[in-house]
Amino acid sequence: MIKKELVLQNPLRFIGDKTEDILPEGGFGAVLARAGVGKTALLVQLALHTLLKGKYVLHISLDDPVNKISLWYKEVFRHLTQSYDAKKRSKLWEDLLPYRFIMTFKVEGFSVPKLEERLTDLKEQNIFFPQMVLIDGFNFNESARTSLSEFKSLAQNHSLHVWFSVKTHRHETHGPDGMPASLLDVSDLFDVVIQLRPEGKKIHVITLKGGPADPGPALFLDPATMLVKDTI
Amino acid sequence: MKNAINKVRNIGISAHIDSGKTTLTERILFFTKRIHAIHDVKGKDGVGATMDSMDLEKERGITIASAATYCEWLGHKINIIDTPGHVDFTIEVERSLRVLDGAILVLCAVGGVQSQSITVDQQMKRYNVPCIAFINKCDRSGANPFRVIDQLKEKLGHNTVTLQIPIGLEADLEGVADLVSMKALYFDGANGEDVRIEDIPQDLLEEAFRRREDLIDAASMFSDQLTEAVLEEKEVTQDMILSAVRTGTLSRRLTPVFMGSAYKNKGVQPLLDAVTKLLPCPYDVKNEALDMDNGETPIILSAEPDKPLVALAFKLEEGKYGQLTYIRVYQGSLSKGDTIINVRNGKKIKVGRVVRMHADQMEDIETIPSGYIGALFGIDCASGDTFLSRGLNLAMTSMFVPEPVISLSIVPKDNTSQINMSKALNRFSKEDPTFRTYVDDETKETIIEGMGELHLEVYVERMRREYTAEVATGKPRVAYRETITRRSEFDYIHKKQTGGAGQYGRVAGYMEPVTATELIFENKIVGGRIPTQFIASCEKGFRQCMQKGPKMEFPVTGIKVVINDGASHAVDSSEMAFMAAARGAFREGYFKAGPVIHEPIMKVVVETPSEFQGSVMGLLNQRRGIIVGSQDEGPMCVVEARIPLAEMFGFSTVLRSATQGKAQFTMELGSYKQVPNSIAEELLKKAETQKKGKSS
Repeated sequence: MIKKELVLQNPLRFIGDKTEDILPEGGFGAVLARAGVGKTALLVQLALHTLLKGKYVLHISLDDPVNKISLWYKEVFRHLTQSYDAKKRSKLWEDLLPYRFIMTFKVEGFSVPKLEERLTDLKEQNIFFPQMVLIDGFNFNESARTSLSEFKSLAQNHSLHVWFSVKTHRHETHGPDGMPASLLDVSDLFDVVIQLRPEGKKIHVITLKGGPADPGPALFLDPATMLVKDTI
Repeated sequence: MKNAINKVRNIGISAHIDSGKTTLTERILFFTKRIHAIHDVKGKDGVGATMDSMDLEKERGITIASAATYCEWLGHKINIIDTPGHVDFTIEVERSLRVLDGAILVLCAVGGVQSQSITVDQQMKRYNVPCIAFINKCDRSGANPFRVIDQLKEKLGHNTVTLQIPIGLEADLEGVADLVSMKALYFDGANGEDVRIEDIPQDLLEEAFRRREDLIDAASMFSDQLTEAVLEEKEVTQDMILSAVRTGTLSRRLTPVFMGSAYKNKGVQPLLDAVTKLLPCPYDVKNEALDMDNGETPIILSAEPDKPLVALAFKLEEGKYGQLTYIRVYQGSLSKGDTIINVRNGKKIKVGRVVRMHADQMEDIETIPSGYIGALFGIDCASGDTFLSRGLNLAMTSMFVPEPVISLSIVPKDNTSQINMSKALNRFSKEDPTFRTYVDDETKETIIEGMGELHLEVYVERMRREYTAEVATGKPRVAYRETITRRSEFDYIHKKQTGGAGQYGRVAGYMEPVTATELIFENKIVGGRIPTQFIASCEKGFRQCMQKGPKMEFPVTGIKVVINDGASHAVDSSEMAFMAAARGAFREGYFKAGPVIHEPIMKVVVETPSEFQGSVMGLLNQRRGIIVGSQDEGPMCVVEARIPLAEMFGFSTVLRSATQGKAQFTMELGSYKQVPNSIAEELLKKAETQKKGKSS
């Protein structure tokens, strides 16, 4: 019951086009923001809403340990379900956990072939079959295009929806469509690009690329709970 | 007095097995003139090696394995406190770590940072113990101290500063170059007791200067004076560097690294210098106690010796003359003839003999001032007890003790073992409150309970080794629990009128699930439907049912019982009758309240070389577990999972064989969760067959 309500109330549905998943299979999405604005919080919300639909999410972090990522999920889940009965919430949390898998790598130790090896391991042993993959902390440097292209074919082969967090910098130059320099060279690989832009006390959630033809209400990130809201 | 405390160091030596902790400790005792001959751990040759090692064991029994050994170096009093070697986290480990003010982390120059180093480092982190690192075995082939330093940074996240570089390595190890004084140190004499100071060899000078620059760079973060001197290109004195490194070390933001080879007697004296110069004295450490009158809120103790006494018994030792209790005084002082109070049971104790342990003897002293470690004779207490002056109500450790999750039956093989076993059990349960023992009423077997399979295995092994008690162990049993899932009503009449005095009692009300583990009993009887004198019997009856659940005979938790109606009889009602009525009422309500079985779910963390991570995940997945995640740490990988304890039996053997013995795991209680229906049915069947077996 809570599951259904949470799915229906999810403001992130306004980002998606007709498909519920925002991204097509094998598609790439990016969440752009400066450090500390709320990229991980948004990624975790995308993950939680996918988990609520009974789909498997693999969260890969290249910065933080497993415990810290777990804590993010717990926090966002707590805020998301605050209005519900504690017992039901804890039951729902227990139900969601088997659908989530956290993998962390050292930035320098991460490569697409390595990830593919891990994925095959998980699938062959019937441990986990991810449908969505989140990658937090990927290094968008000059050589990123090669790994991203490899990644694209991996995502297509395994029918994955992949979300990346992209750290932007204050003094970074931007392309005509608002795309930051780090993403300019690879933006063709991405289907949806969302930016978190702090203005005054508000953090706007702006779709730079992709998204529905008929944009819904404006979205914000509530700085107190880090939850996406359509009204503030 | 303050000056004296400034010269006290309470340190531990923490290390991975085989990184040379024993050898280093022995050399420290030798150089501080506590022992007068050096023995090799492995014996000299095949002939007499057994004898050698037995003698050594005997000697080590007093010198090294003592809970606290006292020695002196450069006018400083150093207490070396034994940190338990086993990996699993027990209360005993916690208590030993609380007593330390600082530690030496010993690492092997060949093996580097291994999984147990990670565990001991985590423990030190948890208790905020500042440490210095000693990279031992630089004389071994394959030694590479700089690789170990990199691992210290990467694997353990230490901000390391190198204070020495080796002169030669492996078989050519000659000594160390000190980067603070920029001098070379060589260790001459039969046992390396004469330190020869010379100039650093030419070929090492460049590296020494480069690393000294790094050292000053890192240290300057902690001292304005040093930064100023560097910026203004003034002379950087040794004191400036050392005091900056000390500030960084005390706040755990810097880990100074020393190196050498304890076995070859190289680098031990400079390490002792470092203990006195860089590790904290009791004044530097903030010690907290829990205020028992204030919901265990932490309060900071003052190390002043004239304040009221706060002391902790951190280790018990069975000696020739009875129980020796090792004490650390945190506040005030403890003198012969004082009357102190044990906060656990409120008992007053008169202090008899106060002693200080030396390597091979003990010395009677009058007083243990705050910051010092000593021992008391003939005090009946458990390890972890707090002793106070009258008027205080503080505890050094939380009084919360987790409930055991696993039990095992043990049967002594003969009469001697029987006697020794009871001695051992008595001692262990005093030392470790998470270890419990009782005799099963029905089977008359001795049952031991603890926090995990390994926890109990350690004690069974200790019974064998320390008490020569040979015991056969039964299959481990999981501590399941029963509870209810919904509210239900009960209305039960207990009536018996066959011969003798009759029995009559009626109890009515409801029960509902709550989060508290203990039974919550509420009396809402009005108008004397149940006379007041029988209410306590009703509660007693309900409590009896909590010990053995009606469903599967597991302990029942999380229930609130409210009684709101009942009836009594002027003649036939008695305490017995109402107790029986309450028991009947409990059973009646319980079965209507959707009873379920809960099982302990463990947090399991496996550390494995990356190449085995696939198979490790497979193993975990087969055990009804949820894999929370995997953490890639270069050549090693850490997999975290939540797995029911019932599925973890024998896991260590399976894990070893699947990973060529290269993986390790730790396990602690996570939570209690409902057993899936299929498993619950199996348990029910098992319980029924057991019942049938008993009755036939």
